[in-house]
Amino acid sequence: MPDLSPVSIARPTGTRVSRVLGIASLVGIVWLVVFGLFLSPNDATQKAGVRILYIHVPSAWLAYLAFIVTGISSAAYLFKRTRSLTWDRIAGASAEVGVLFMGVTLVSGSLWGRISWGIYWTWDSRLTTTAFLFVTYIGYLAVRGLGGTHQQRARRSAIIALLATLEVPLVHFSVKWWRPLHQQESVAEGKLNGLMLFTLFVGIIAFTLLYVWLVLHRQRVLAMEDALDDQGLDTALAERRAEGAQI
Amino acid sequence: MDLSPREAVPTAQGRKRKRPWLAISVLAVVFVAGGLMVAKFLTSAVDYYCNVDEIGTKSGCDVGRNIRIQGTVQAGSVEKASSGATSFIIEYHGVSMPVQVGSEPSGIFKECIPVVVRGRVAQDATGKVFEGDEVIVKHDNSYDAENKDRVEQANAEAAQCSQKG
Repeated sequence: MPDLSPVSIARPTGTRVSRVLGIASLVGIVWLVVFGLFLSPNDATQKAGVRILYIHVPSAWLAYLAFIVTGISSAAYLFKRTRSLTWDRIAGASAEVGVLFMGVTLVSGSLWGRISWGIYWTWDSRLTTTAFLFVTYIGYLAVRGLGGTHQQRARRSAIIALLATLEVPLVHFSVKWWRPLHQQESVAEGKLNGLMLFTLFVGIIAFTLLYVWLVLHRQRVLAMEDALDDQGLDTALAERRAEGAQI
Repeated sequence: MDLSPREAVPTAQGRKRKRPWLAISVLAVVFVAGGLMVAKFLTSAVDYYCNVDEIGTKSGCDVGRNIRIQGTVQAGSVEKASSGATSFIIEYHGVSMPVQVGSEPSGIFKECIPVVVRGRVAQDATGKVFEGDEVIVKHDNSYDAENKDRVEQANAEAAQCSQKG
């Protein structure tokens, strides 16, 4: 289990575990580049355009995972027995990384759409709900920056995160509930096989390792920011007390 | 007693106070963008297209109305004029519809591939014609490695595509 405890300002965000994770994710990305660009075959219909799949699908899945982790961490903060600001910081860090992956999903999907569909964007159910999910979590991050105490920030953002998590199944099942331009599931229906499927799994593993590495570091940076805020507050209180003692 | 004003101490609250304006601005943009997306989604058809066999039979898939129709491009039906205008026939569940578009379709457009065409159904003396403004290729969810050994088999399958419906 990686060390998720808050850090002191003097302590760096890296640990032995995070360094191993960082190296593993780097190796995974190199593997993804090798398999995605050189070893996996062209698709019979889409030719080389299919290679965007190895970025697009893993980034979408990781964005889902990140937002679900944000939801679970937020629930853990709201639950009295597990309430800790560490959960809030994990939620915030995971949402930030999720927004990053969702952005990659939208950009790669748009480029892929131009190659295969002939257009960059259209308002179908999958594309629209994905863009809406992206915008929702940008809003969540904005709410986190509204100020107040750490506890106020944690409480209001946790409630929003729980509501926003409901959008994840909406996006995922949009291709089943409505009639979209976007294709249906491929992996679950066995429509992707051999080296193409293996390359996709390499992408998912590489992106998962990268996600964990980014969240570990980011939540520790958030802990440092909170510690810095607390330290500033303590300094101010000490100065006021000193002034009071002089009167 | 010293009653002179105290100097501001760089506390947590002081540092955070600058952020709300940025956060409020982002939130305003998020609300506007989210609202526009919902409006765009609700004013478009929730179902992205009508299948060819639903034209004139399903609500919202009426003749003369701006719609999107989906079907598979019939083998041997694609004709391109020197002006770039393209005509072809699309088919779904045994029902076919001639399509005319003013430009050459982009993407991976070819015979035997599912497409969605935006435009309207016109009725003339010879029957119904779909006057298309835009052709979008609708790739299905199956992926197959390009394999030269299977080209002949693939061509044979492609030749039969229009019979599948």
